[in-house]
Amino acid sequence: MAQAVEVRGFTFGYTDTGAVLTDITLSIEHGEKVALIGPNGAGKSTLLLAMSVFIQGSGTILIDGIEATRKNAKEVRSVIGSVLQNPDEQLFMPTLFEDVAFGPMNMGLSRQEVVARSMRAIATVGLAGMEDRPPHHLSAGQKRAAAVATILSMSPKIITMDEPDTSLDPRSRNNLIALLASLEQTFIIATCSMEFAAALCSRAILIDGGRVIADGPAALVMSDAELMRAHGLETPAAFRDRSPNH
Amino acid sequence: MHRLDSRTKLLATIAFTMFVIALPPASVSMVICAAVWPVAILVAGRVPPGFVIRHILIVSPFVAVLAAWTAFYDRSMVHVVFGPFAFVTSGGALRCAGIIGRFVVTMAALIGLVATTRFTDLLAGMARLGLPGILVMQLGFLHRYIFLLIDRAEHMLRARAGRKLRNLGLRQELKTAAAMIGTLCLNSIEMAWRISTAMQARGFDGRLHTLKEMRLGRNDGVFAGATAIFLLGLYLLARGV
Repeated sequence: MAQAVEVRGFTFGYTDTGAVLTDITLSIEHGEKVALIGPNGAGKSTLLLAMSVFIQGSGTILIDGIEATRKNAKEVRSVIGSVLQNPDEQLFMPTLFEDVAFGPMNMGLSRQEVVARSMRAIATVGLAGMEDRPPHHLSAGQKRAAAVATILSMSPKIITMDEPDTSLDPRSRNNLIALLASLEQTFIIATCSMEFAAALCSRAILIDGGRVIADGPAALVMSDAELMRAHGLETPAAFRDRSPNH
Repeated sequence: MHRLDSRTKLLATIAFTMFVIALPPASVSMVICAAVWPVAILVAGRVPPGFVIRHILIVSPFVAVLAAWTAFYDRSMVHVVFGPFAFVTSGGALRCAGIIGRFVVTMAALIGLVATTRFTDLLAGMARLGLPGILVMQLGFLHRYIFLLIDRAEHMLRARAGRKLRNLGLRQELKTAAAMIGTLCLNSIEMAWRISTAMQARGFDGRLHTLKEMRLGRNDGVFAGATAIFLLGLYLLARGV
């Protein structure tokens, strides 16, 4: 069975800013929950965009064995779902139901299947009964859950999320962590929030300056206070006692 | 009113609006008679009068300026008979009253349509009536994102107010306003790019699919028939039959 994500020597840059990602090599197994951690501008979001074929660089990215190229974009995007940083940009249809049904309809599924998948996804994220609500009438936490539902309804094997806990209050953040922890999909979460990453992910990949700095069990990477400090991050409270530099 | 199919209401409103626009410029009495239709819609739809008046007033300045010009344009005197009332006024004033009357009546009809129909149903109705999908989608986006844009503009205005501690003068104010509008435009373009990314990530290929089921019922037939009879009656009245 192919790995969920395999990146080999991937390099990407913009003409005006130079290299954003340099020689990235990593692989992620199916079912893993991986945190891409790093300071702002490290290249985390760019790597997620590359995985969903929104940008192309040199090197190879394989998503469930399919090469992430423009030619295979449709196939790749049926395997990997992207939840954007701002849910208002993810939720563009007039009602929650229509938004969640948008993806399955584009997959060419039957009406019955579209309705079943959408209702199931809405129920999974705890928004049952709100199907007819306009997305801009949802709270920040509900919007985040709704954004996850729009991807769940497409049943992807892999879900990428960009800064999923931005502007969430502690209760909404805990609800989101509980929701994501209950899902079986492979998750790749780009975040600056070490607490969020520590609560959800078993593995952490530290990226800075467009390069992979560290890759390993979340507890090991994030408990290294010196490493974290050197890259503008902090050790989450849960791992502070384990830090060798504590 | 709320349960009627959006297509019936939309077509009836378009037919009514076109009829009122086609009335002779100075036919104030016919416009008053035509007002029965939107009033009936608003009453049946239980739309609060205050809501209707407020929304008409919001848009009225643009039309009021236009109408005021016509009052000065035509100064010929005309003799007006309206039921038991008879008086002499200028042709311009009559045209002005005609324009304002038509605006109020058609706006009331439009408000009746919007207030008794969910926007999503209206969009689905437009799509079923054969409006280009891209146009329907653009309208949907406009409705969805106008609130976000207004929200951002309000935040910017608040930020400006927080730092504007003295009167800057017209030139500086215009410069600031231009910068704010420019920033809003740039934000909108960036947001559009990200929305496009979100759509493509979910398999969008340029065609908008919909699950909305629409069925025309007996009440739609009654409503369409009543509207047709009303408009025919007005037409005959206008022709003096």
